[in-house]
Amino acid sequence: MGKMMKGITLGLLNVVFIWIALFLLNAEAYLVFVLLLLGALLTNFIFITPKGYPYRYLLPASFFMILLVVYPIIYTVYISVTNYGTGNILNKEQVIAQFEERYTLEPSAEQYAFQVYRDPQASLWFLFTDAQGAQLLGRDGEITRLEAGDPILMQLAAFHELSRVELVQATNELSAQSFAYDDTRELRMRNINSFSVYLQQYSYNVESDQLIDLQTGTVYTPINGYFQAPDGTRLSPGFRAVIGFDNFRRLFGNPQITGPFVSVFVWTIQWALLSVATTFVVGLFLAILLNDPHLRLRKMYRSLLILPYAIPAFISALIWRGLFNTELGVINQILQATIGSSVPWLQDPFWAKVALIILNLWLGFPYMMIICLGALQSIGAEMYEAALVDGATSWQQFRHITLPLLMVSVGPLLVSSFSFNFNNFSVIYLLTRGRPPIVGAQTPAGHTDILISYTYRLAFESGRGIDYGLASAVTLVIFLITGAITFINFRFTGALEDVSKNV
Amino acid sequence: MKRLTTILVVLVLAALVSMPVMASVPGELLIWSDGERAPILTAVAKEFVVEYGITVKIQELPFGDIRDNLAIVAPTGEGPDIIVGAHDWLGQLVTDGLIEPIDVADPSLFLESGLDAFTWGGQYYGIPYAIEAIGLIYNKDLAGEDGFQTFEELIDVGMKLRDEGKYALVMPQPDPYHTFPFFSILGGYVFGMNADGVLDPLDVGLANAGAVEGFELFEYLMDERILARATPYDTMMSLFQNGNAAGMITGPWAFNDVRSAGINYGFQQIPSYKGQFGRPFLGAQGFMMSAFSENKMLANLFLNEFVATKDTMLAIYEGDPRPTAFLPAADIINEDPDMRGVMESAAEGIPMPAIPAMNAVWTAWSDALELVINEQSEPQPAIENAVQLIIQTIKDSGY
Repeated sequence: MGKMMKGITLGLLNVVFIWIALFLLNAEAYLVFVLLLLGALLTNFIFITPKGYPYRYLLPASFFMILLVVYPIIYTVYISVTNYGTGNILNKEQVIAQFEERYTLEPSAEQYAFQVYRDPQASLWFLFTDAQGAQLLGRDGEITRLEAGDPILMQLAAFHELSRVELVQATNELSAQSFAYDDTRELRMRNINSFSVYLQQYSYNVESDQLIDLQTGTVYTPINGYFQAPDGTRLSPGFRAVIGFDNFRRLFGNPQITGPFVSVFVWTIQWALLSVATTFVVGLFLAILLNDPHLRLRKMYRSLLILPYAIPAFISALIWRGLFNTELGVINQILQATIGSSVPWLQDPFWAKVALIILNLWLGFPYMMIICLGALQSIGAEMYEAALVDGATSWQQFRHITLPLLMVSVGPLLVSSFSFNFNNFSVIYLLTRGRPPIVGAQTPAGHTDILISYTYRLAFESGRGIDYGLASAVTLVIFLITGAITFINFRFTGALEDVSKNV
Repeated sequence: MKRLTTILVVLVLAALVSMPVMASVPGELLIWSDGERAPILTAVAKEFVVEYGITVKIQELPFGDIRDNLAIVAPTGEGPDIIVGAHDWLGQLVTDGLIEPIDVADPSLFLESGLDAFTWGGQYYGIPYAIEAIGLIYNKDLAGEDGFQTFEELIDVGMKLRDEGKYALVMPQPDPYHTFPFFSILGGYVFGMNADGVLDPLDVGLANAGAVEGFELFEYLMDERILARATPYDTMMSLFQNGNAAGMITGPWAFNDVRSAGINYGFQQIPSYKGQFGRPFLGAQGFMMSAFSENKMLANLFLNEFVATKDTMLAIYEGDPRPTAFLPAADIINEDPDMRGVMESAAEGIPMPAIPAMNAVWTAWSDALELVINEQSEPQPAIENAVQLIIQTIKDSGY
């Protein structure tokens, strides 16, 4: 029974593997495909041989880690040295195929009406008629002129002539046909009613890897993702190509990109620190209040205070966006009525940052309150009794007992909260979209952009349209920065463990 | 051994089941349409099956997702044959090599400006079904039966309205698309034409004398509280719906919201200033064909014979009323005063540039607007700096 279950499970797993593998093959993602294949083979090996038993639990974990963590990182590194973005979406083979399929219509192109006949062997015969009524026979890519009453016409009449419906159903077959009109021109299907004379525009030379314009003789060589003529003219579309470190050079070599990057980086750190600090202080304060057994209706307060956490951040952020509106927002109307002036929330760089901190405080304090409440409960009452006996003030109690013991359990959560806010894209994007803009920045960058929202705007809203290459380069830089911060964080949390040992 | 057989059988079955999912299908059309157009296309598809026995499948996607999804899916061979889209996608889609020209059987059936909007390098890349342009929706109770013919008139009324805490004018801000008439009114433009009649990406006319003067008019209106400052679309709409604004610069998509608020409204073209009309951007929507279609000839046939017909175009109009670009249907549609108003506004319109260099324009231009709206900069330096930036970005991108 158990064996059968195992067999079925493995079978189902393999179904999933094959299903994904086929998709990957179709999408030409060969690297992932190979990785998946290796994973699938290993899985089967481990399930089938008893030797593999110990790896049964290790394998899925490492497999998914490679697929979902390692591969994306490698892919990002790869994209960062390419020009992938608007104008360079397709691969080179696809672009060459498009150029080779490019036909231009003769300016004075005559249209030929056509009839198609199918002989008993199911092969096709074409009869073309020009505007003057002269007829041509099309067969096997060749055309021959027919005199009036040519015997071949009799022969055709014996074949099955395709009706209009049959022609429509056969369009793909018909449009694949071409007939040599003369040395350079071809007769090709123009629409369901006619054929016309076309010139092929480009031909690709495999040996020299060049594209030749058949009409002008211009030779185009692939340079940095474009076929380029000697005079610098580029053909569109371009293709995806490795362009080396150009994206990094753009990032670091241009003060109009570097300037915003530094200011965005500084704000990101400020934002993450301030978010953690404000939410922690308010959360802790409320937790201490709620922890007081003398407080009446504690449970009700607690439930009410958790509400901002329960409401989806997307809704709250949009509501706050309305509250902060300069002209009509409630906050400004109250300020106008009480102190007689209003604040340009969301428009002034400083106030936009204040608004963000306020919003994140609203969204984040319940979380801090909950974890602080839990942590406070774990601190034994005997500590405070001892402190009372020693004559400690309540500030001293807080400073020397509550805070250090609290930090033992809450400290690591503060660190993770820092990392979370470091990449808190949604709050930024929903409230300010990174605005107001930084004057003179050449990439889309705003005063409230954090690194992650800056990258997003770079990838999807840059001057070029979509710019995955540059965005990947920025992502890598961010990856290094967050890596460094995480490393420092780990040392910091290690220090906290020492505190707990000493207590 | 038995277990192995089971596994093998399952493997083979899985392979068989998953194959048809991915096969691209010659001889069958697939259309990516937004929700508004999908039911109409489904009905047309039924006629196509009856006539030619060829299946047309309609896949529904949000309008805004169609372009980006095409870029991801089409090169893998799983994309559609035909898409519904806006003309300003053209530049990006053509430069990316994702769409191909369409053989429009009879160009004379279409409004010239609608077809122009879908023209790239002298070739038609789309069959337009609708055109649109922004204008002024006015509240007849505040602006009078005929609205505002001139900005001078609007300023006079605005001076009185602001004492009641109302605005003569509201518009989405910062929004280059809606602010363009201020730039064009005295001769500003986005890209100039070169001698061949092709847009020149290095000739940006947003900071010429006329553009700056128009931009200063925009700033003046805000300073005088005639035009509401820094209103996003929703705020603008609620000001107008609550009767706190006499006029609103927006397009035909706002009619439903205005009607539902019970406002007694009219639609007119952007008022004139110093005797010249503010010209809006002209936009067009239509059908385009994927460069990766396996059925290009069939797609052309379907569009020319089944979509470019009076019946289909009227059905598209009824599903989502916008001024039509298809002349045989225009007489019926123009009986509606709103549509006639939009058509008149569109007649003054300048096709919104669809070249990819336009991407470089939007962000910098919008930032310049924002700096002026936020009173952090005067119009002239803000827009001059933006234009300098635009040209630099365009040069850096290698146009």
